[in-house]
Amino acid sequence: MTDGPLIVQSDKTLLLDIDHPLSTECRRAIAPFAELERSPEHIHTYRLTPLGLWNARAAGHDAEQVIDTLIKYSRYAVPHSILIDVAETMSRYGRLRLEADPVHGLILVTTDTAVLEEVIRARKIQPLLGARIDAQTIAVLPSQRGQIKQSLLRLGWPAEDFAGYVDGQAHAIDLVQSDWKIRPYQELAAEGFWHGGSGVVVLPCGAGKTIVGAAAMAHAKATTLILVTNTIAARQWREELLKRTTLNEDEIGEYSGAKKEIRPVTIATYQVMTKKKNGVYAHLDLFDSYDWGLIIYDEVHLLPAPIFRFTADIQSRRRLGLTATLVREDGMEGEVFSLIGPKRFDVPWKEIESQGYIAPAECIEVRVNLTENERLMYATAEPENRYRTCATTRTKRDVVEALVEKHSGEQILVIGQYIDQLDELSEVLGVPLIKGDTPVKEREVLFNKFRTGEITCLVVSKVANFSIDLPDATIAIQVSGAFGSRQEEAQRLGRILRPKSDGRGAKFYSVISRDTIDQDFAQNRQRFLAEQGYSYKIIDADDVFQGKI
Amino acid sequence: MRSFSDYLRSVDDAALLTLFTKRPDLVIPVPPDVASLAVRACSPPSLARAIDSLNQWQFQVLEAAVSLNEPFSTKSVVGLTHKASAAVLEDLIAMGLIYPANDGMRLPSQLRDVLGNEPAGLGPASLAKLKLSELDDAPAEARRTLERLVWGPPRGSVGDIKNPGPGVAWLLERKFLVPLDQRTVVLPREVAIYLRGGKIHKENLVDAPQLVGAVRNKDQINLASIANISTVLRWVEELLNFWAEEPADALRAGGLGVRDLKIISNHLGVDESCTAFITELAYLSSLISIDSDDRIMPSNKFDVWLMQTPADRWQALTSAWLITSRASGLVGRADAKNVAALGPELDRVNAARVRALTLSILKENQGIAPDINSFNSLLAWRAPVRRNSSMQEELASWTLRESEWLGLTGQGALSAYGIAFLEGAELSLINADLPKTVDHILIQSDNTAIAPGPLEHEVSQELAIMAEIESRGGATVYRFTEATIRRALDHGKTGEEIKAFLSKTSKTPMPQPLEYLIADVSKKHGKLRVGNTSSFIRCEDTALIAQIMNDKKLDVLALRRIAPEVIVCNHDSVDVMRVLRESGYLPAAESANGLILTGKHANRALAKPRPPRIVGEIEVPDIDMLNSAIRVIRTGEKSSHKQAHLRQVANEALGALPRSTANETMDLINKYILEEKSLSIGYADNNGAVTHRIIDPIRVSAGALIARDHATGEVQSFRIPRITGVAAL
Repeated sequence: MTDGPLIVQSDKTLLLDIDHPLSTECRRAIAPFAELERSPEHIHTYRLTPLGLWNARAAGHDAEQVIDTLIKYSRYAVPHSILIDVAETMSRYGRLRLEADPVHGLILVTTDTAVLEEVIRARKIQPLLGARIDAQTIAVLPSQRGQIKQSLLRLGWPAEDFAGYVDGQAHAIDLVQSDWKIRPYQELAAEGFWHGGSGVVVLPCGAGKTIVGAAAMAHAKATTLILVTNTIAARQWREELLKRTTLNEDEIGEYSGAKKEIRPVTIATYQVMTKKKNGVYAHLDLFDSYDWGLIIYDEVHLLPAPIFRFTADIQSRRRLGLTATLVREDGMEGEVFSLIGPKRFDVPWKEIESQGYIAPAECIEVRVNLTENERLMYATAEPENRYRTCATTRTKRDVVEALVEKHSGEQILVIGQYIDQLDELSEVLGVPLIKGDTPVKEREVLFNKFRTGEITCLVVSKVANFSIDLPDATIAIQVSGAFGSRQEEAQRLGRILRPKSDGRGAKFYSVISRDTIDQDFAQNRQRFLAEQGYSYKIIDADDVFQGKI
Repeated sequence: MRSFSDYLRSVDDAALLTLFTKRPDLVIPVPPDVASLAVRACSPPSLARAIDSLNQWQFQVLEAAVSLNEPFSTKSVVGLTHKASAAVLEDLIAMGLIYPANDGMRLPSQLRDVLGNEPAGLGPASLAKLKLSELDDAPAEARRTLERLVWGPPRGSVGDIKNPGPGVAWLLERKFLVPLDQRTVVLPREVAIYLRGGKIHKENLVDAPQLVGAVRNKDQINLASIANISTVLRWVEELLNFWAEEPADALRAGGLGVRDLKIISNHLGVDESCTAFITELAYLSSLISIDSDDRIMPSNKFDVWLMQTPADRWQALTSAWLITSRASGLVGRADAKNVAALGPELDRVNAARVRALTLSILKENQGIAPDINSFNSLLAWRAPVRRNSSMQEELASWTLRESEWLGLTGQGALSAYGIAFLEGAELSLINADLPKTVDHILIQSDNTAIAPGPLEHEVSQELAIMAEIESRGGATVYRFTEATIRRALDHGKTGEEIKAFLSKTSKTPMPQPLEYLIADVSKKHGKLRVGNTSSFIRCEDTALIAQIMNDKKLDVLALRRIAPEVIVCNHDSVDVMRVLRESGYLPAAESANGLILTGKHANRALAKPRPPRIVGEIEVPDIDMLNSAIRVIRTGEKSSHKQAHLRQVANEALGALPRSTANETMDLINKYILEEKSLSIGYADNNGAVTHRIIDPIRVSAGALIARDHATGEVQSFRIPRITGVAAL
């Protein structure tokens, strides 16, 4: 028995004791093949998945190395079944290869005829295949490259893709690091992506994912299509690219509801891409309008279904997905991985925080007691209205007022789900409100005023959940949310994680009605952050009023 | 000296000792004389059992011997096989499968029958004189036919024996083929042996195949093995704790249902075949018992087991497993009939034998995790597939799998603990090598707690009721949820106790969200109350309710007021109404859904009617039938009496032990008890040997005859089924 930092469990989870002196070394050693699942304060949980093991194979690690690493760092004996499973799983990778053949186009080649026989009999695979060339080779319809990779993955026989990527139309892009410096993890992430070909980079909110995108473009030096969530985000990307790269204004186009520019670097919104005209997606041609060398998906966890489908068809182009929270309540994480590419980079939030690249944040759950009357209303509400009833209670308003009062002088965001509630809060607090129907121009004006400090408090709806860059916001007060959405909570916290000029920490308040489903949803919402090591502190609304906090 | 019994009479004690060691069935029970020993040794079951213990090479030599005409010489056997066979012949003689007679080697009379008609694929010996050299010039068609038959089976079918093809005709003419019937021909043994080049087998498998497999490092083997040992102990403990909470129901046909198996499989986090193995393991070591309501629960031996050291606990499980004839691998096999764990269908005659063989192969090849194909070929050599050999490979593969689960092996190779166990050596090594238990947990803010090693028993028991296990292995990950905290409260813990326990056990400070979770749940727990009652009284007038509560005449009803307007009562509503009316109240009945029940009252039973069964009258048989029945009984009586009498006379004349049928015995005993006469009886002992006793019968009690034995003068009990015969003195 060694005294290593790692405990290998029989259910294929790996527990890493981060207080152990070897933990950093061990984390680096297992990162290539194990996926980080949770990173709370003492013990981080990683998981061995087939996908992770295959990615490691693709990156040149073999089963022997993986097993050696496990044995080397393990505190107790590694269950034999796990060692067998690792060897078994990893040996499945690479038996099938996708190659570009000068005569037949895209082909599927195998070293093991039995495997090929097995997969070509699968019902999902058959329609994707062309003619049988010989015992070990079969043609694949070039348009089905993504589809077949996905289906093979599901069958447990992942194909190694040697068909390569098209370079796209070359376009000179370089980073300009005159007054700033790319951070080490950003560089690692961009390189990890570039060597892998395609994939997803997971970084906390505020950790500078745009820079990773820019660095990836500088690697590709080719025309790039960037897909973002909304127009504001598109403009932010544009500003950043102008600031950080050699690109000038004429090279960057915006493709949104307002403008339809197609330039060597084009930033398009998901909304416009999925807009239907006469029942067809009118704008999907954008994917073909240029010989793109790189496609970047910002906030990839929000990728809408039509784009999913389309992405399957462009497997020969390099794809980069960016996100902070790859958790989807619809369980589509697997789809993201197989269509965009595997996770190429992931790092615990708290680690970036300890390096000072994101602001330390304190999460506080404020529990509000409902009045007798409100309790009764909640008890008798229709099931579909129950959450709304308890999330928008009048009592919350007083707490928000008190909190805003307490933090006056700091930059405060009040975030909520229900427009009525937000309207009311905006009126009571006497601050402007940004919601879905606020025109883009007005939004930009308000955000700019907030950035400059002209306004210190804003009430925002879910439109501000993502991609809005508000560096100096230090306080966020959440009054209601989209039920139990874990990623929304994390994204909202992300709004205040940009490092502050004065090194101040951020505070995230979540106002919850006690003993209602608001509280249950809050528990689920907090799970992602709790697993990232953010410990929620629970306080009573009375403490706020009495100024005890 | 020609016969086997003569041979047995001629050998010395040492040879007999060897024989009995190799074939213990010959002395259980002890035969009364050499003749009966010879009879038993030549009986097909005993011969078959002896043949089962041969390895492939010994079997080949035996086959060669059988293909020769008796008597035969060692030289001729060597000629047909390999020079190494001389030594093997000695073994076969020692086992009594071949014996040396005056004129050469001979075989026990029924050995050929046991080996079948065509040993080694050879046909019968030819009756005619053959010119075998002619075979070298056989035409091509004849050669083709010969090629088909030479390695057996030696029979072939032809279209019509009267009109054969040219090849077959050529062979028939020279008696190289012999017709069996209209459509079948057979190749005589001599021809086949000639064509086989004067040998019997294609290949003489003199040496056991080499076992190949991954070579493992000794330390790694022991590390893996100790991990397996701690795992299996944990599995068994968890299984039994689970059943202590929620006993499983045994199927009517016996055993554990598929659904229950799945539940446990989920709970333990292992697959179903492993689950079946664990349940069987607990069953074999009597840690569980199936009670009279068919509920499967831990037995009181479980508590004893828990008190033991890990090494003792492990030894108890492993020893029970080693000798069992039950094969848990049969449970839930794909494409086979479903067999229930703990059920009556798991016994296989050869399970223990194959298990012992598998382990001995592992022991002979230490440090090797055998490759399964290599292992199977060695197994096939050591125990060639013959009688009762069904599933030998499967049984062996299960043994390998189970050895790993048990920790006899680590990474597939036998560990130091496994060797110590098989040699019956001291196992306390295990206690020293098991990972040290930890007495603390680490609670994290995502409501999980991690025990970074095996937890001490008490701590894990406590924790198991207040948290749910999320991941198992060297460490354990627990998750606290509303449901688990509620469960702890249901177990009679208070919120404060839970908090105190956790903060005492946790090395890290208790995160606030967990503290709130516990407080929230304990605040809500028990706010709603649920209970059973037979009837209720309700009234919107609380004054009337108060009056009823204070009415002494209603004390019989034992009323309980649960709300200002509601009283509950454990008596039936009809009775309550009657009592209330008698006391001057005017109640109305209310149905469960709140309707007032008025009108004519008509009681109906709730249960489904079950009319009594009609018992049929027995028909009186007619007079002819009765007469013939009486005739049959009389004739039988006369004949058996006469036979008994004749036997008695013969026995007395020969001085042999008395013999009588079971019915006669009882009859005579009862008669002599009444007449108080001495009796001569034959009585079989535990080993089946019959002795002669002179007794005074006293009485019959519980299947035994109580009598005074003249030889000892003591009163003794004789079991009636053991009495072989009774006669008057």
